[in-house]
Amino acid sequence: MGKEECKTMLDALNKVTACYRHLVIALGSTSDSQNLREELKKTRKKAQELAVANRTKLTTLLKDKTISKEDRAEYERLWVLFSSSMELLEVDMKRSLEIGQDFPLKVPTRHLIQTGMTGNTNAVAARAMSVQNMKYEADSNIDTADLRDLQSEITQVSQMMEEMEMKVQVAPWAVVAKQEAGAELKSNMSVGNSSVGVISICEEEPKDDEGGGGREGGSTSIGAVLVFFVILTVALVLGYLVVNM
Amino acid sequence: MTINTLAEEGLRREQMACFRKMEKVIVAMQDPDMGMKMRNQRLLITVIPHAMTGQDIITWLIQKYHIYEEEALHLGEMLVRYGYIYPLKEPRCLVLRPDESPYRFQTPYFWTSTRWPASELDYAIYLAKKNIRKQGELMEYEKERYSLLHKRINHTWDFVVMQAREQLRASKQRRKADRIVLECQEQAYWLINRPPPGVQNMLDWGLERPNNLSARIPLNSDYYKSEIETSRRALGRNRVKSSVCLEGFVKYSEQYQNHDPIMQGCLPSNPWISDDIAYWTMNSEMAPVPTRLRVERWSFSFMELLTDAMGRREFMTYLEKEFSAENLHFWQACEEIKHGESSKIVEKVEDVYKNFLAPGAARWVNIDSKTMDKTLEGIKRPHRFVLDDAQMHIYFLMKKDSYPRYLKSDLYKNMLAKAVVPQETKKSVFPFMRRQRHSSPSPAQASAQAAEEDGRAGTNSAAGSQL
Repeated sequence: MGKEECKTMLDALNKVTACYRHLVIALGSTSDSQNLREELKKTRKKAQELAVANRTKLTTLLKDKTISKEDRAEYERLWVLFSSSMELLEVDMKRSLEIGQDFPLKVPTRHLIQTGMTGNTNAVAARAMSVQNMKYEADSNIDTADLRDLQSEITQVSQMMEEMEMKVQVAPWAVVAKQEAGAELKSNMSVGNSSVGVISICEEEPKDDEGGGGREGGSTSIGAVLVFFVILTVALVLGYLVVNM
Repeated sequence: MTINTLAEEGLRREQMACFRKMEKVIVAMQDPDMGMKMRNQRLLITVIPHAMTGQDIITWLIQKYHIYEEEALHLGEMLVRYGYIYPLKEPRCLVLRPDESPYRFQTPYFWTSTRWPASELDYAIYLAKKNIRKQGELMEYEKERYSLLHKRINHTWDFVVMQAREQLRASKQRRKADRIVLECQEQAYWLINRPPPGVQNMLDWGLERPNNLSARIPLNSDYYKSEIETSRRALGRNRVKSSVCLEGFVKYSEQYQNHDPIMQGCLPSNPWISDDIAYWTMNSEMAPVPTRLRVERWSFSFMELLTDAMGRREFMTYLEKEFSAENLHFWQACEEIKHGESSKIVEKVEDVYKNFLAPGAARWVNIDSKTMDKTLEGIKRPHRFVLDDAQMHIYFLMKKDSYPRYLKSDLYKNMLAKAVVPQETKKSVFPFMRRQRHSSPSPAQASAQAAEEDGRAGTNSAAGSQL
C-alpha cells in the first residue's frame, strides 16, 4: 500500500538526516578528514535521492482527490514529517558549506579545532548508506571540489522546498501528531541500557557516576576477589592466634 | 514546517562582530607550534585528549597578545561565556577559573552564532534525546520546556521523536570516548542557547543591541567625508560648561521651590486629598483675584508672564498705557500662526501683514530693516514659521524694555498687594464631620469651560479690533 511504502521511505530519509547531522557536527574538528568529506558527500547525495523519491510519492498521494478523510489526514502527517526532515537537511547543508569553507584540509597548517573527538565516523556513514563498510575512492582535493557541488545542491534543495510549499496545499499546523509527550520513553530500543553505561561526567550531579557495563564487570569482580582474600587472611590470622592462645 | 524567514535571511544575516573575533582567537589557539598546550582528560578507564586547564588558557592569552593577567582573564571569561570553550568539571557554571580546572574546545557546528540561531525543533529533539537517555529524569525547567514545546510544535512531534531515536542510534556507532564528548558538547551548546531560568541569556543584548546587524558600512571616501562634516558641525555647536548648567539648575530649583505644590504643599489644600477644589478655582484663568504666588511668578521671567493668561492681560493693560500694545498683539498673532491650523496660515499671515507690517499700517511694529526685508520676502511664500524672526525681535524688545518697567510699575505692585494668600482649610476635629469623598469634578472640565468662554470672548475682540 502507498502508506507503508511512504513510511519506509520516510524512515530511511529520517535515518539519513540524523546521520548527516552527526557528520556535520564532526566537521572542522579533529575527527575531520578527507574521509569525512567524502562521507558527507555520499550521505548528502543519498539524502537528496530519498528526498526526491519521497516528494514524488507524497505529492501523487496528496493530489489524489479520491482518498478518504482519514487517509488524507495520515498523508498530511507524513507530509509534515517529510518537510521537517527537509528543513533540517537544508540547514545542515548550508552549515556544512560554511564550515567546510572555513576549514580547508589542503593547507600547510591545518587549524582543526581540537574538540577531543578523535575517532572516525565510518560506522555512522555506513549506517546512513545502509552498507557494511564504506569504500573511499575520492581524490585528494575533495574538500574544495565538493563545495561547488554543495552550493548547487543547496540551491536545488531550496527550490524544491519552495515548490513544495507552493504546490501542495497542506496546513502543517492542522496536523495532530500521533505520539504524545514522553512517547520516546516507551520505545523498544535498547538505547537506554547502553547509554546509561556511558560515564556521565558531564551531567548535573558533580559526582562521577559510573553505570554498569561489560568493562565495569571485570573490575568489580577483581575487587570482590581481593576482598575475599583479605577476609580469608584475617580469618586465618585470628584462627592462628586463637589456637595459640 | 516552520516559517522560513529565518532560512532565507540566514545567508544575508551577519555574524555578530564579536563572535567572528572570538572565532579567530580560537583558531589561533589550534596552531600546532604556537597554540595551546593540550592535556589528556582521564576518566576511570577512558582517556580523552584535548583538555586544557584554565591556567593554560590565561598563560597562552598573555603570551600571544602581550596583555596583563586581568585582561586575559576577562577575555577568557568571554570565550567561556559565549560557548567557545566549555568547562568539564562543572558544566553548568560557565566561568573561567585560573587554576587546574579542565576545559575543552567546542566544535564549530555548535559555535554561538547569530547567523544560525538555535531553533525550537532542535531544542525539542535535544530534550527528547535527553529524555530517552535519562529515562525521564529531566530537570524541572527542562520538563516544563518539554511540555511547552510539545504544545507549540505539536504537529511535528512525531518527527521529533523519530529524529531523536535516530540520532541516538547514529551516535551509538561511535566509540565511547567520542560519545562522551558529543554529549558534553551538546549540553554546553544548549546551556548557552536555552539557558536555565535565572541565568542571563548571553545572546540577549537588551538595550545595547545594535540596530542593524546586517548593514555593512562600506568604509569609502563618502563615508569619511560625511563623518568629517558631522564632526565639523559638532565643533561649531555652542556648548555650555556643565558647571554653568548645574548652577543654573540649582538657581531655578531654589527659585521655584516655594511654588511647587508637591515640594511645598499647596494652599488651601490638595484637592486630591481633601476633595476641596478651591485650589483649582483660585488658580484658574478666570479667577477675579490671583494668588500671591502666581503674581510673584510673573517676576521670575518674561516667559512666565506671557504664558499665564491673566499675566498677559495685565501686561497688555500696562502696554496700552504706554502706547506700545501693538508689540504684544503682534506677538500673539505670530503665536496663533505658529500653533494654529495649517489651512488658515495663509490668511492669517495676510492679516498680520496688513495690520502690523505694511507701511502705514494701523499697528505698525518697529522691526529693524534687515529682519523686515527678510520677513517681507518670506511672506511671499507663507508657511508656519515665516514670522519667526520678526516675532523673536519683538519678543526681545519687550523683554528688555517694557518688561522691567512693568515690574517696577504701580500696576504690578498693586496687583501684588491685592493678591490673596489662601487660608489653609481647617481640618475638622471630628472625623465624621469631614466631607464625604465623592468623585470630584475634573480640573479638565473646569478649564474646558473657561476656554470656551475665552474663545468666544476672543473672537469678539478680534472682530472688534479688525475694524
